[in-house]
Amino acid sequence: MVINTIFNSFHLIGPEIAVALLLLAVVIFDLAFPKNKKFLPWLTITGIIVAGFLTVKQYSLESGFVFESGNTQGLIVIDNFAFFFKLLILGVSLLIILFSVSSEELKNCYDRAGEYYTLITGMILGMFFMVSTVDLITLYISIELVSFSSYVLAGFIKKSKRSSEAGLKYIIYGAVASGIMLFGISLVFGYTGTTNFYQINHIVVHSLSPDFLLSLAFILIFVGFGYKISAVPFHFWTPDVYEGAPTTITAYLSVASKAAGFALLIRFVKIIFFTGIDENGYWILSKAFNWSYLLIIISVLTMTVGNFAALWQNNVKRMLAYSSIAHAGYMLAALTMLSEQGLLAIVVYFVVYGLTNLGAFYIVLLIHNKTGSEEIDDYDGLGYQMPLMGVAMTILLVSLTGLPPTAGFIGKLYVFISILDAPHYTLAVIVALNSVVSLYYYVRIIKHLYLNNPKVEREFTFPVTQTILVLVLTIPVIILGLYFGPLLEMGKVSLRMFGF
Amino acid sequence: MINWIYLTVALPMIGFLINGLLGSKIKNEKVIGIIGSSAVGIPFLISVVALFELLALPNDQRVFNVPLFTWLSSGWLNVSFAYRVDQLSIVMALVVTGVGFIIHIYSIGYMHGDKGFWRFFAYLNLFIFAMMNLILADNFLLLFLGWEGVGLCSYLLIGFWYDRKFEKSTTSDAAKKAFIVNRIGDFGFLLGMFLIYITFNSLNFAEVFSRAAALSIPTYVFEFIAIFLFIGATGKSAQIPLFVWLPDAMAGPTPVSALIHAATMVTAGVYMVARCSIIFALAPSAMAVVAVIGLLTAVFAASIGLVQNDIKKVLAYSTVSQLGYMFLALGLGAFSAAIFHVMTHAFFKALLFLGAGSVIHGMHEEQDISRYGGLKKYMPTTYITFLLASIAIAGIPPFSGFFSKDEILWHAYINGGLFVWIIGVFTALLTAFYMFRLVSLTFEGKERFDHHSVHPHESPKVMTIPLIVLAILSVIGGFIGIPEVFSGTGGNLFSSWLEPVFKTANSKIHHFGLHSHFEEILLMALSVAGVVFSIWLARHIYIKNTRIADSVAAKFKGFYSLLRNKYFIDELYDSTVVNPIKKVSENLLYRINDVKIIDGAVNGTAALVDKLSALIRKFQTGAVQFYAVIMVFGIVVALFWILLSL
Repeated sequence: MVINTIFNSFHLIGPEIAVALLLLAVVIFDLAFPKNKKFLPWLTITGIIVAGFLTVKQYSLESGFVFESGNTQGLIVIDNFAFFFKLLILGVSLLIILFSVSSEELKNCYDRAGEYYTLITGMILGMFFMVSTVDLITLYISIELVSFSSYVLAGFIKKSKRSSEAGLKYIIYGAVASGIMLFGISLVFGYTGTTNFYQINHIVVHSLSPDFLLSLAFILIFVGFGYKISAVPFHFWTPDVYEGAPTTITAYLSVASKAAGFALLIRFVKIIFFTGIDENGYWILSKAFNWSYLLIIISVLTMTVGNFAALWQNNVKRMLAYSSIAHAGYMLAALTMLSEQGLLAIVVYFVVYGLTNLGAFYIVLLIHNKTGSEEIDDYDGLGYQMPLMGVAMTILLVSLTGLPPTAGFIGKLYVFISILDAPHYTLAVIVALNSVVSLYYYVRIIKHLYLNNPKVEREFTFPVTQTILVLVLTIPVIILGLYFGPLLEMGKVSLRMFGF
Repeated sequence: MINWIYLTVALPMIGFLINGLLGSKIKNEKVIGIIGSSAVGIPFLISVVALFELLALPNDQRVFNVPLFTWLSSGWLNVSFAYRVDQLSIVMALVVTGVGFIIHIYSIGYMHGDKGFWRFFAYLNLFIFAMMNLILADNFLLLFLGWEGVGLCSYLLIGFWYDRKFEKSTTSDAAKKAFIVNRIGDFGFLLGMFLIYITFNSLNFAEVFSRAAALSIPTYVFEFIAIFLFIGATGKSAQIPLFVWLPDAMAGPTPVSALIHAATMVTAGVYMVARCSIIFALAPSAMAVVAVIGLLTAVFAASIGLVQNDIKKVLAYSTVSQLGYMFLALGLGAFSAAIFHVMTHAFFKALLFLGAGSVIHGMHEEQDISRYGGLKKYMPTTYITFLLASIAIAGIPPFSGFFSKDEILWHAYINGGLFVWIIGVFTALLTAFYMFRLVSLTFEGKERFDHHSVHPHESPKVMTIPLIVLAILSVIGGFIGIPEVFSGTGGNLFSSWLEPVFKTANSKIHHFGLHSHFEEILLMALSVAGVVFSIWLARHIYIKNTRIADSVAAKFKGFYSLLRNKYFIDELYDSTVVNPIKKVSENLLYRINDVKIIDGAVNGTAALVDKLSALIRKFQTGAVQFYAVIMVFGIVVALFWILLSL
């Protein structure tokens, strides 16, 4: 009976199986050909493409539970919402592997390349489960899978003190956060007697007033999410880890694992507390816990702290770390509306932010390859010494600020639309003011690129492949800023979650 | 071809892009000139074909709407890039592209050797693009796009020679003056447009005009809309009180003066009022204002023109004066007469400017007519064409200016009364006088220039052929509008062509009594006789007996200096408007508001942000234990909040 269920579910987890096999393949390949590490990234890319193909094939499938049996409902679901985030994660992973190929930093650890790609594949697997889980146990295990891989990756460059420090801080902080979350999960289980989201929903729906024990449990669980998406006050690890980790991993953490964290948070809130949806697309949530207030306060804190702390950072990676905290704040602001519009804004924002942030990190990486520095003072005059990279960086920074005609504007626009539709003017004003503050530190980099005189006269040339990769990331930022219809259509389709 | 009408807009844009982006690389003047000219020439051919297609249709079906794409759509507001081809817009399109094409060709010769040759053609093409949008727009917003676009091009072209001196300042100052004065008008236009939108919930011409005619809206609303729109027109078309920029606009190259500041852009106001004829017809007081302003401007500018010594200034005041005629016609409800005069005026005034350009070209950039004289033997083609144009503007039959001006004067008589007619004719006499003063001082009489340094010569063919073409048009252009009294049963071809456009408006205006053909011919004869006398007087004074002018000037010293100084209008505006604004902005807005309040607020905010930033950064100690403490602290605060809210 049980075996039958598992067997019936196999066709639904094709992508996950592909990723798991890829993980094994990378390990075996690494062991079989210890001398030849050149093919590892291409092997991984092939695996990602296969997984992507299997994911796309699932689009036409009926959405459904996986591992359902008897009265225990399933552990993970297949739906459009998960589909969107899986594709996003695969796309980001693909780019990150391409980045890794051109990273000079990682060349020092060439002999451990097998480890690197195995861990990335492990993260992909974890994030796949994160975006589709509907069970507290799989939720916890998937978060841990992602976390453990990223602890090692953050400290991957052993010889670098900063990198080791980052790994260590990350694991300590992560351990505390996940311990607190686990406590929360056990409280929920003790209260409801189930770990399945839908079954918890049946119990929570009937609460007519806030329940202290449940509220406590949800706050403790939220600590885990907050840590994953680096929401204030659970963000402290972010700057230290982002600065110390290899740039590729920083970029990966800032986009992919943040996306998975958001997907999980959204699914958690929507499924567990859902009682209905009104005609304007606003969710009617159970009164057991007031998410709206908590999220508003956290989102305001997150964007404000992120932006204000970024103002005077002299290390570009650290600055981008704070900026990614601020962006999480903007997306949380859209989530606080607890509406379909807010969700659409987050989905659109993630595509835009992913492209832009990856592009910015990639250019930081390329500059680091050439100059060995991420200090803003070493960027002086680089705009003239590497014209294409300078222009691309400028476009990406403008997009991060959220100014037209770049994609970043579209992302911000939809965040504002969702907030003003509610309407929640105070929050909109706070978001707008925060954007103004952010303009300063983004433009500060542009100023260093163009207005400051270079300390050394030099010329830089980049291989064609790297140039193409920069263009692949930059041109869509402009195109999506002007022509974003398809992006919206895709976003609207991706909102559908299982059970609604 | 009507469905391809958007090409008349697109091609100039393409020309602008090619010359503007690649012009500095092309370097070859011929290539640039050909690109620039064909970007206007082909639209002209398209317009001609479109005209014939319209002619093939019955008169009441000659309206086409060519939509391109939706521009803005929000609530009630729905604005498209859509072009309206009808009797009125096609006439304007033909004038703009036709005269524009001739002037483009002329410019190849005139601008030869200029370092900004490519820039010049790029701007001219951009101007045609904007002007065609203005003319063909099927809604107010697209018209406004063109309206602002031509203003921008006018600014760019007036200040084209930005490194040259102009009068007491620079050409840039003249350009700025034109731009700022136009902004005042544009503000009025915008207000009018807003009012139209709130009243009719649409900016589309067809919808607005049909609703204006059908809905019962109080008259005062129409009065306001009409007055606001007319303020816009006074800016663009240089009417009292906003005419001051046009004489200064002569700082631009002469082809620009011919194209923008004589033939096309300045008539945009006339076109716009004619386009909105229904709104104006429903606003009787506004119509009266239009007529009075037009009449005053006509006589006022003509009187200034009498004593100016700069060849282009005379023509500039003449343009202001002729535009006044057009507004007089509009104000009297003679919409088709106004458009007719727009057309004939485009021919002869463009010719006069191009002729003046040819003279300036041959006289080494000298513009003072007191240093000309006897030029007809050096530049015969220029002389003859200039003379023909002067006859046309003076209104001698059967030249084009006669028919259009006579139609306006006749309407002045039947709708405005004898007094209006007298002032109109008086202006015509002044016009004839200053034009022949100009002709006499320039081409005839003693040679007053320095033979050692100046060697007058005829201009090259590329400049004289455009003159000849325009001269032919100036001579015969009026025949399409021969009044009924001469053409008999066929009636006035031009006004019956435009009749469907103005039908609704005309039905709302009261036309007074019936007048006999005898009256019409009598008045015509009187005005022609007066003009002939005026011409004779001018020639007598300025060729044969130059002392008369001096003695008259000495006798009426006060009045003469009033005219010489253009009624001190510039000085009046400087002391009543410009200087107070400058003072307020310097002392209050800049010193206090800008420096203290705004800068203070901005810098204060920045300092505050900086402080906050420093505070927040302090929490990032680097010690993980501390981070964990803050995390737990956050949880505790959240729990307190829950406890309190239970």
